[in-house]
Amino acid sequence: MSITLDIKYAARLLHKKPVFTALTIFIVAIGLGLTLYTYSLLSNLVFKPLLLNKDTPIISIEAEFNQSHLFRIGIDPHDLLTIRNEMDSIDELGVYQERTSLIGNTQNNSVTRKYNSVNIEWNVFDFAGVKPIMGRGLKAEDHFEGAEPVIVLGYDIWQHYFMAEEDIVGSVVLADAIPTRVVGIMPQGFAFPMTAQAWLPIKQELLSPTDWSRDGLFAYARLKKEVPFEVFQQELALLNKKVVKSLPDNVRWRMDDFEGYLRAVPYKKANITQFYSIFITMAVVVLLILLLACINVGNLLLARVNERFKEVAIRVALGVPRNRLILQMLLESIFICTVGGFLSVLIAGWGLELSNTVFEQMYMATEQKPFWWQVSLDADAILLLIASVIAMIAITGFIPAWRALSGDFNAVLRDGTRGSQGKKAARASQILVISEILLSCVVLVIATILLSTSYSAGQADYGVDTNNRITATIELPVVDYPIREEGEFELADTLKRTAFYYQLKDSLEQMPNIEGVAFMSQLPGTGAGASYFEIEGRVAAVYNENPYSNNEVVSRDAWQAIGMRVIQGRDFSLDDISAEVDTIIINESISNDFFPDGDAIGQRVRRAFRNPDPDREGGWQTIVGVVSDTYHGSAMRTSSEQYSSYFMLDHIGYSSIDVAIHYNGSQAEAEKSLQHAINQVNNNATVYNIQSYDELISQPMILVSAISKVFLLCGVIAVFLAASGIYAVAANSISQRTQEIGVRRALGASDSKVMQLFMKKALWQLIIGLSIGITLSLWVVNQMTDTMVINQASYLVGLIAIPLLIIIIVLVATYVPTRKVVLMEPSDALHHD
Amino acid sequence: MKNNNITNTIKTNHTDNNGQALVLLKDIKKVFFTDDVETHAINDINLIINKGEYLSITGPSGCGKSTLLSLLGLLDTSSSGSYTLAGHDVSDLNRDERSAIRNKEIGFIFQAFNLISDLTVAENVELPLTYRSDINSEQRAKMVKSALEKVDMLHRAHHFPSQLSGGQQQRVAVARAISAKPAIILADEPTGNLDSKNAQIVMALLDQLHQEGATICMVTHDPRSAARAERMIEVFDGKIVADQRTETPTAIAV
Ligand SMILES: Nc1ncnc2c1ncn2[C@@H]1O[C@H](COP(=O)(O)OP(=O)(O)O)[C@@H](O)[C@H]1O
Ligand SMILES: [Mg+2]
Repeated sequence: MSITLDIKYAARLLHKKPVFTALTIFIVAIGLGLTLYTYSLLSNLVFKPLLLNKDTPIISIEAEFNQSHLFRIGIDPHDLLTIRNEMDSIDELGVYQERTSLIGNTQNNSVTRKYNSVNIEWNVFDFAGVKPIMGRGLKAEDHFEGAEPVIVLGYDIWQHYFMAEEDIVGSVVLADAIPTRVVGIMPQGFAFPMTAQAWLPIKQELLSPTDWSRDGLFAYARLKKEVPFEVFQQELALLNKKVVKSLPDNVRWRMDDFEGYLRAVPYKKANITQFYSIFITMAVVVLLILLLACINVGNLLLARVNERFKEVAIRVALGVPRNRLILQMLLESIFICTVGGFLSVLIAGWGLELSNTVFEQMYMATEQKPFWWQVSLDADAILLLIASVIAMIAITGFIPAWRALSGDFNAVLRDGTRGSQGKKAARASQILVISEILLSCVVLVIATILLSTSYSAGQADYGVDTNNRITATIELPVVDYPIREEGEFELADTLKRTAFYYQLKDSLEQMPNIEGVAFMSQLPGTGAGASYFEIEGRVAAVYNENPYSNNEVVSRDAWQAIGMRVIQGRDFSLDDISAEVDTIIINESISNDFFPDGDAIGQRVRRAFRNPDPDREGGWQTIVGVVSDTYHGSAMRTSSEQYSSYFMLDHIGYSSIDVAIHYNGSQAEAEKSLQHAINQVNNNATVYNIQSYDELISQPMILVSAISKVFLLCGVIAVFLAASGIYAVAANSISQRTQEIGVRRALGASDSKVMQLFMKKALWQLIIGLSIGITLSLWVVNQMTDTMVINQASYLVGLIAIPLLIIIIVLVATYVPTRKVVLMEPSDALHHD
Repeated sequence: MKNNNITNTIKTNHTDNNGQALVLLKDIKKVFFTDDVETHAINDINLIINKGEYLSITGPSGCGKSTLLSLLGLLDTSSSGSYTLAGHDVSDLNRDERSAIRNKEIGFIFQAFNLISDLTVAENVELPLTYRSDINSEQRAKMVKSALEKVDMLHRAHHFPSQLSGGQQQRVAVARAISAKPAIILADEPTGNLDSKNAQIVMALLDQLHQEGATICMVTHDPRSAARAERMIEVFDGKIVADQRTETPTAIAV
């Protein structure tokens, strides 16, 4: 019994129908390619644990994620010490604080450059299992007060900034203007914990603090081998309860509304918390597409078996063994799926390469690309591919094999007709069509809702004018602008920092190409801190029943520079600095909602605290102005605040602040002006993240909009698959019924009667498929609402346009083949087989 | 309603219609085009069938019998020639007009029975009636009942075709063909798929229908079946080569 004959026969069949063969291979390649791509993307970015040269995964220990502004938050050093001391499940742990450092050269006073750096515990290199390629790593003694400042440099700094100087180790360089000795060079590509290119020892007082503070630390950790992550999470939850209870009043802001504070997350997942549900959705959508592809290929092969029914019947009459027949049916599937599998590697590889480019662009301005965001096909992916190909062969081969085995061959051979196998085959093809409708509906609804949401987020009105504006972040050098909390220095330090900003503003505004300058803690369109506030005379009994507003610190004379307006009252003035009363500016929404009579000016508000001093008297701030509304936080976010309160920069004087500059002429010229002005005021100050205001706003959405493009691609593929699949199923089931149509026509059924018969069935399939599909997709979309606000228009598009599109597709896909059969002469239809 | 006006010549060349003719085919040709081959399945056929006639068509396989029957039944259109049915020219009707005529005037019996497997016996018989707007459901039920009674299949009205024997299926097909009281019944090898006992039953049914006045045109290659008709036509290579009256139809002898 040689199967070479079968193989030859299968090859001949595939060769004889090149369009069919190409179409099925294409569908398989697309389905598998998309799966492979998504798997690699998700496993590299999210799911595959970060191991770094050891065999236990790295986790991150940090504070509860800030859901309203999508920030990761660090833990108080004091509480981290508690974790370190009390949690036996932890094998290794280290803490860090990410920042940027200005690296300079002591010798030739050349330009300094900003690099991502990290203040970190000395064990980091052991923890990561990576040794310096030159010199040493950090040592415990490096943390001590009075120890010589040391730094470990990344490969790229050494290569590009220090021109690969051979005797770099041991030399002294400038790190934020502090002479610092280089003790080691790390190998290329090393950037743990995230993006670091320079490692500095963290201060000893952060490692063993004596009290709570305002600092926030992140921790990397590995658990003991025998401790499962879930167990550790439970232990941490217990500890969290204890820690939260012990928090003194002045640091109770550390916990969120649900008394959450400490949390442990797989290391990679921690970095994409806000995108997690989108990634999951993407996985679901891609799986659905794969399923669609399987059904389609299976169905195409099924149609083939039907075409060859007589031949199969003859084989059966000749006594073909059951398994031989199944093999015969499988051979084509094997060929199609295998070739499609090879092609899918090319598709996935191309997609991954494209993704790497997108990641580069995404993080161009901020240089915040995590080091593991480099996607490629790995061994796991190839294993998955092999498994998928086998599964696909089984699924696509099973359908036709089942059909071939369950036919009534006697009837075929006796009458030369298909025999009456009607009900089963008809039910099968009905289920196929309904699945196609359902699956494509889910994919398309999700894709359009996501797309339309990210589109409208891009079009959102943030209440500011972003045209001809650049934005940047300015950081003052600590050496020149210290922050001392002792009362005697505090005011002086604040004034000194503030003076820098206003000097910079003056110097910029004197330039002919600069129209205005605004400093704000976080510019509209980006997020910052929010809190509850009390209105004098209307304080709620419970602090969190007070209204909630976004809080920003703003410079004087800033509004016009970003296209905002003072609607009522006045801007902050120099007099406010020394005035007895503390002043505040609110936005229009607060004024309209809480002072509808227009009497906001002169009223007093203050921050509301969770556990205020019961007889707190002060803290009231007098409203002096009402400004136009802006939108803080990305429009994608679920809880962007509509209420905003503005505090005066002169009172706070942050050491790092955002700036927006309104210019005329070219953007490049404006950027030069900014750099020039900063160098004039203090050339140790750093400016980074220079980009247009539009870019700033789109920043948080780059990933989402990139993913929505993947969804769009999925949507297009789904339309193609659905259209071709439904057509094939309809054509197949109708050609099965050609004879029946012939009989009906012979008995005098008119064209429209026959059409109606089939269109009615299609309508039923639509009703069933769409109602399940819409329910399912709504459920999936609801899972995403923690990541983004889904607007009504998106729902409308998704829930009306898509079903309409599918209805059209199905009706056309049914109409065309039915029409073809109906138009046959009844005598031909009767003798069709 | 016997009619003796027709001259039994080998070549019939009637051009006139004396009012009794139900079917009048004139210079009918049918050519099939497949790939590069032209098949002249019907070659200049002229034929008159009178009301109440029982006609059989015989001839070797592939000679064009089924094609001729398809043309008679308006299942297909001729390549040229004219066709008058019950006084109306039906050669140039559109699809729906032809459907309507098939529905009212023509009853088909096929070799392969061609019952619709998802419909019950009664529904199959009712099917052609449902295509008409002038019969309500009550009337339909009555017509179905009487048709099934006639073929003695009323007891199986609610069975599906797959639950019946071949002979029973063909009887249901006969009931379906006669339910609308058509002007002519066309049967293509009605006994071709049946054993001789069941064939007998079906042939007897046709005899009975004929006796009751039905016009029947039956294709068969079985000479004994053909002999039961009162007029036998022989086709060869798409032409009528013989057209004769059987003076004593065997049916009467049985
Ligand atoms: N639909 C068709 N297409 C092409 N050729 C056909 C078709 N139907 C019949 N023929 C050809 O016409 C001739 C007559 O066929 P048919 O009427 O079926 O013969 P029979 O006398 O056996 O019933 C045959 O040669 C057949 O091959
Ligand atoms: Mg025939």
